[in-house]
Amino acid sequence: MRLTLQMLISHGRVARKMGLGPESRINMLRNMLTGLVRHERIETTQGRADEVRFYAEKLIDYAKKGDTDEKAMKMASFWLTEKDLVPKLFKVLAPRFETQKKGYTRMARIPNRENLDRAKMSVLEYRGNPFPPLYPVRKNIELSLINQLLKGYKEERAQKTTVKI
Amino acid sequence: MAACVRRLNNVLCSVRLLRYQHHQNERFLSTSLPRLALGSDDTDQPSKFTPPPKPVIIDKTQTAASLRKFLSPEFIPIRQRINPLKAAIERKDMYRRRKVLNIPEFYVGSILAVTMTDQYASGKSNRFVGICLQRGGKGLGATFILRNIIENQGVEICYEMYSPLIQKIEVLKLEKRLDENLMYLRDALPEYSTVDPDMKPVSSSPTGDVPINMMKVRMRPKPWSKRWERPIFNIKGIRFELCLTPEQMEHAQKWAEPWREYDMLKEYDTSRLEENILKEVKQEMSK
Repeated sequence: MRLTLQMLISHGRVARKMGLGPESRINMLRNMLTGLVRHERIETTQGRADEVRFYAEKLIDYAKKGDTDEKAMKMASFWLTEKDLVPKLFKVLAPRFETQKKGYTRMARIPNRENLDRAKMSVLEYRGNPFPPLYPVRKNIELSLINQLLKGYKEERAQKTTVKI
Repeated sequence: MAACVRRLNNVLCSVRLLRYQHHQNERFLSTSLPRLALGSDDTDQPSKFTPPPKPVIIDKTQTAASLRKFLSPEFIPIRQRINPLKAAIERKDMYRRRKVLNIPEFYVGSILAVTMTDQYASGKSNRFVGICLQRGGKGLGATFILRNIIENQGVEICYEMYSPLIQKIEVLKLEKRLDENLMYLRDALPEYSTVDPDMKPVSSSPTGDVPINMMKVRMRPKPWSKRWERPIFNIKGIRFELCLTPEQMEHAQKWAEPWREYDMLKEYDTSRLEENILKEVKQEMSK
C-alpha cells in the first residue's frame, strides 16, 4: 500500500465520501436526485444535501439544452431512476428556470434528527415549488395602529428637516 | 533569408517559410550538380538526368481562417486552484520565449528532432531524434518526452519546452496516434519505438486535419510496467487480442467505472477558455 502524503491530505478534493465507495456514492446521489425531482422538496443530512445540490443544478443545466440533445437525454435517463420523471424534468422544471442562470435550489437547516446520532438535517428544494415557503414571509400590514403611528412620526421628522433647511 | 528566418511571428507562417527555403536550396543544388559532374566523370557513363524538383506552390489565396487552429496544451490551465495572475505572467514569459525560439505544432506520436546545447560535446550541441510519448506540465514547465532506440538501447529524454538550453525543435513527421499518451511503447516490441536519426523531414500541409496513424502496436509478453488493459488508461492503440485472453480482458473490465462519464463533477469544459487563450496567443505572436 502506498502511504503517500497524497492519500492522507485531501487538498482540492471536492467530492465527499459517501456510502461504501464511489459507485455507492453515485447511486445514493441518484436516488436523492430522483426523489428531489419527484417531490421538489426533500429533507436529508446536511452533507448529502450539499452534494445533491451541485448535481441538481447541473441536471437543470442539461435539461435546459432540450430533450432533442443526445447528451442531455443520456444524462437524464442515467440520473433519474424512475423513468416517468424524465418528461417532467424536460417539460416542467426546465421551462420554469428558463430566465435564471443559476440558483435553482434552496437549502435550509432544520432541527437535528431525533435519533441517537442527532445528525444535522437540512431541506433542499427547487425554487417555485407548490409547497408553502420555507422561510415564512413577513407581511407588513400598513393599516395596523403601530405602523400608522410610525408613518406619521416619519412624516413629521421629514417636515422638520425640510423646514430647518 | 536569415532576416526573415529570425523574425518568426506566426508559427504557421514559419513552417511555410522553412519549406520554401528548403526547396529553394534544392533548386540551386540540382541545376549545379550535373554541370559539376560532367567535368569529372566524362569517361564513365553520362550522369543520370535528375529532373529539378517540382516547385512548391504556396496558395496565398488561402486565408488564415482555413489554417489549422492549434493551441499548445501548456497554455490551457488545469482545473485546480491556479492563481490567474500567476498564469497570466507565465504566459507573458512564454510568448517572449516563443518569439526567440520557434516551437512548432506537434502532437503525441509525431517524430521530433531537438538540438540542445551541451558544453561537454564537441560542437557544443547535441541532436536527438525520437517519437513524442507524452506532453506534460503546464505553463513554463511544460515538457515532452522523446523516445528512440539507439544501438539496441531504449533512450527517453524529457525536454522542457521553454528551457534556454534548447536551440532548435524540428518536427520531422507530424502525425497523431490513437492515444494521448504513448507510454505503452516501453512495453511494446522495439521496432515500434525506433526512429532513424538521419530521417528527412516529411512535409505536411498547414491546413486540414492532422493525419492520424491508426497503427496498433504488438506488445512484449507480460508483465508490463503498467496494466495497460485496464479501462482507466483507455488505450486503443494496442493489439490486445494477440497478448491477452478474452477472460483476462473481461477481468480487466472489473475496474471500469461506467458512472464516470455521467459524473458532472468531473467535467471540465475548456472550450470558452481555449478560445480566449487562442485569441491572446495569436495577438501576441503577431506583434
